[in-house]
Amino acid sequence: MRASRVLLGLFCLLICAYLLAPILVVVGASFNAGPFLTFPPRGLSLRWFAAFLNNQVFIDAIARSLWLALAATAISGVVGVAAALYYVRFATRAKEAVRVAILLPLLLPEVLTAMALLFFFYAIGIGTRLGVGMLVGHVLITLPFVFLNVVTALHGFDANWELAARSLGANPWKSFRRITLPLIKPGVINGCLFAFIISFDTFGISYLLKDVGGATLPLQLFDYLRFNFTPEAAAVSTMSIVMALIVVVATEKLVGLKIERF
Amino acid sequence: MTARTLAAPWRPMLLIAPAAVLIGVFLILPYLNIVVMSLREPATTTPYGSGFSTGGYAKFFADFYYVGALLQTLWIGLLSTLVCLLLGFPLALQIVRASSRWRALLYGIVLSPLLVGIVVRSYGWTILLGNNGVINRALLDLGLAQTPVPLMYNSFGIVVALSHVFLPFMVLPIMGALQAIDPALEDAARSLGASPRRTFRRVVLPLAMPGIQSGAILVFVLAVSAYVTPVLIGGMRIKTMAVIVVETLIDQFQWPLGSALALILSAAATLVVVLFMRATRLRWK
Amino acid sequence: MTTVSIQSLVKRYGSSTAVNGISLDIEHGEFISLLGPSGCGKTTTLKCLAGFEAVDEGRILFDGRDVARLPPEQRDIGMVFQNYALFPHMTVAGNLAFGLEMRGRPKAEITERVRAVLDLVQLGGLGARYPRELSGGQQQRVALARALVIEPKILLLDEPLANLDATLRDEMRTFIRDLQKRVGISTLYVTHDQAEAMTMSDRVVVMFGGQIAQVDTPEAVYDRPASAAVARFVGQANVVEGVVAGANGDRRIESTLGSLPMPQRLGLTPGTFVSIIARPQAIALTAVASGTPLAGTVAARYFHGAFIDYRIAVGEQMLNVQAVPPALHEPGDAVALGFDPARLWAVEAA
Repeated sequence: MRASRVLLGLFCLLICAYLLAPILVVVGASFNAGPFLTFPPRGLSLRWFAAFLNNQVFIDAIARSLWLALAATAISGVVGVAAALYYVRFATRAKEAVRVAILLPLLLPEVLTAMALLFFFYAIGIGTRLGVGMLVGHVLITLPFVFLNVVTALHGFDANWELAARSLGANPWKSFRRITLPLIKPGVINGCLFAFIISFDTFGISYLLKDVGGATLPLQLFDYLRFNFTPEAAAVSTMSIVMALIVVVATEKLVGLKIERF
Repeated sequence: MTARTLAAPWRPMLLIAPAAVLIGVFLILPYLNIVVMSLREPATTTPYGSGFSTGGYAKFFADFYYVGALLQTLWIGLLSTLVCLLLGFPLALQIVRASSRWRALLYGIVLSPLLVGIVVRSYGWTILLGNNGVINRALLDLGLAQTPVPLMYNSFGIVVALSHVFLPFMVLPIMGALQAIDPALEDAARSLGASPRRTFRRVVLPLAMPGIQSGAILVFVLAVSAYVTPVLIGGMRIKTMAVIVVETLIDQFQWPLGSALALILSAAATLVVVLFMRATRLRWK
Repeated sequence: MTTVSIQSLVKRYGSSTAVNGISLDIEHGEFISLLGPSGCGKTTTLKCLAGFEAVDEGRILFDGRDVARLPPEQRDIGMVFQNYALFPHMTVAGNLAFGLEMRGRPKAEITERVRAVLDLVQLGGLGARYPRELSGGQQQRVALARALVIEPKILLLDEPLANLDATLRDEMRTFIRDLQKRVGISTLYVTHDQAEAMTMSDRVVVMFGGQIAQVDTPEAVYDRPASAAVARFVGQANVVEGVVAGANGDRRIESTLGSLPMPQRLGLTPGTFVSIIARPQAIALTAVASGTPLAGTVAARYFHGAFIDYRIAVGEQMLNVQAVPPALHEPGDAVALGFDPARLWAVEAA
């Protein structure tokens, strides 16, 4: 009995190593002093970080990814909260259908969704111009995360609180603003956090729907590392990891992180 | 308990309207359009022509290149799912059984790949698996191999990388199912004379089955439709269906063919999923 | 001070009718309980009054004005929920201030009124605490205060004592009733507990199956129930079937137990089939003497401290009889039963 517990523990240690290996390798390689992408790094230096910070292409890509993620999160946030409210409070007959429908972008392959949007926007004449298709795509794939998190938060929300507010004279909007929203805030923030990260890191949608010159960070990185073998791409990757970590830690401090199951 | 407001009973509809429009207009409609697109005539200067034909589908069956790629993609998907299952179940078990301090840490490690982005993850694997990569150089230095072992540009590399990328999606549903098991059930089984092994097999495993099913289906579908990882790890030498589809759309600018291939891939994947659900339902119910 | 009038209220959920034609008037400052088993429609009636459920048919009048189309926030009600529903992210003072803020009262007035109501419910000084830091009884009082501070037209309480333990419940019963009398607010109280309804109310409304079975003072409901069902719900009752017999001046009821005196307060014509209702306290047990018309055997005896519960077997029937200690009769004894006509009641058999 003891033996199997120990074995399980060891096995899991190995799996953790497996999980962390690629990330550690990329981060480690970004500190290479020489122009070769090796791990462990030969010599330690920050030169590749300096290189990419001077690389306008990457800076533009990061900025574009950030703005896109912010916009997508903002829109998903509002739409997702509203949809979650509807689902928990008002949906009766088609409840399962509503849930599945909103989770569809999560259940369907991203490549297919990207294709579908590409054809659609081409058909209505916009194509990939104006970044509209890209934004819609990002909103679609981030919406389920906001929805799931807010639904979970609402399940812990006592419906009587809102009834009490209404009985005390608050109309539906005031009741939402003063009572419901503050109490589901952790769920909303959690969902938005997931949404932000998903949007920031997504490749498929961005690849098919990008405008001329409108590469997001994952796209730029992808292009770069297929043909360029210096540690610069590794440095960019490390930066992207650090940024995601900062966002997560900041949110954890503000709200406390809770991961929800599907 | 719902609070049905008296004034303006249509108001709840406003809440779901944006999401409904988003999903209906920008997801469902476009998906239906893919089917339409797959039946269009190909063209040379534009992505598609004006007429309709089933040429795309015919091309798939006529060319073994495509059929082979589909079978290989499905095979890679199955292997990745299996690996994720073999790695993910023990991990989920460990997390659920662990004390809360360890649990938070393990949770973080399991989710860390998700935080990092698909491109970065796949990139990391290219550094690890290449002929000049970390693993090979370690093997050569330790004398365990004379020449570099081909870990990349083949199915093996893709399976390893895909399993890594999608492991969290296997762990999370299984964790959910395990956590939902009433601990009293295991005690009850033990009190009735079942050994720990038997308890596990007859009580825990069947109850965790829904989580295992969800995880397996999720990972399989994701693995079969993955793009970035197979492109980076497979390179020119091995292309999965998703890679071919994107190539057909973006490089060759042939939308009808690309759509047909994508739909065939989806249909094949769905078939596998349905068969899987049939098989597992029979065994455990 | 408001009069509330419910007229022919009907509320359906899908194919089932939860409230099937209820009419009730609540006078100024009256304390009315809706009493009944779960599913009888009492909570639904309350929700319709509050505006949380839409009315299918009927009218609800506050001081003569039909409010059935108004949303809850415009009805000027004060509601106390079964689980209190105190806002967890606000302090006690914040909770109390909320209703006043919704009404746009100035800050200074709000502070003063909150302070006053905290004193009223004997929670002075606890304004800065959060609900989770209070005991169940304290939370209950905050819930009451929150509903009262806005000086609503009517106070609605939905089984507020259900979550409290027995001693606290007794305490809160008197507390709520005293408070209500002092403030003088019209009150509708929903409960399935007959002790609560009986001890607190000016009038009790007994409901079964979506309809009102009886509306009366607690004494009337207990002593003169409108039906055997009402009798059984508000207390223990022995129900005996019989038929009215005898000539004028010497009316009797021939029952399955034997010949019983006619309840004093009723005038029933001979031949009417009735159900006699005898409370356990209304039957006297004496030793069997010759010529005793009604007799039975003690089947069981339970000592409750303040009284003794006897189960008396009379032929095929079992009667509950309550007596004051000391216990004079052993299980197995034969006893004679005395029925006091002043304390008997009968209803026409259904």
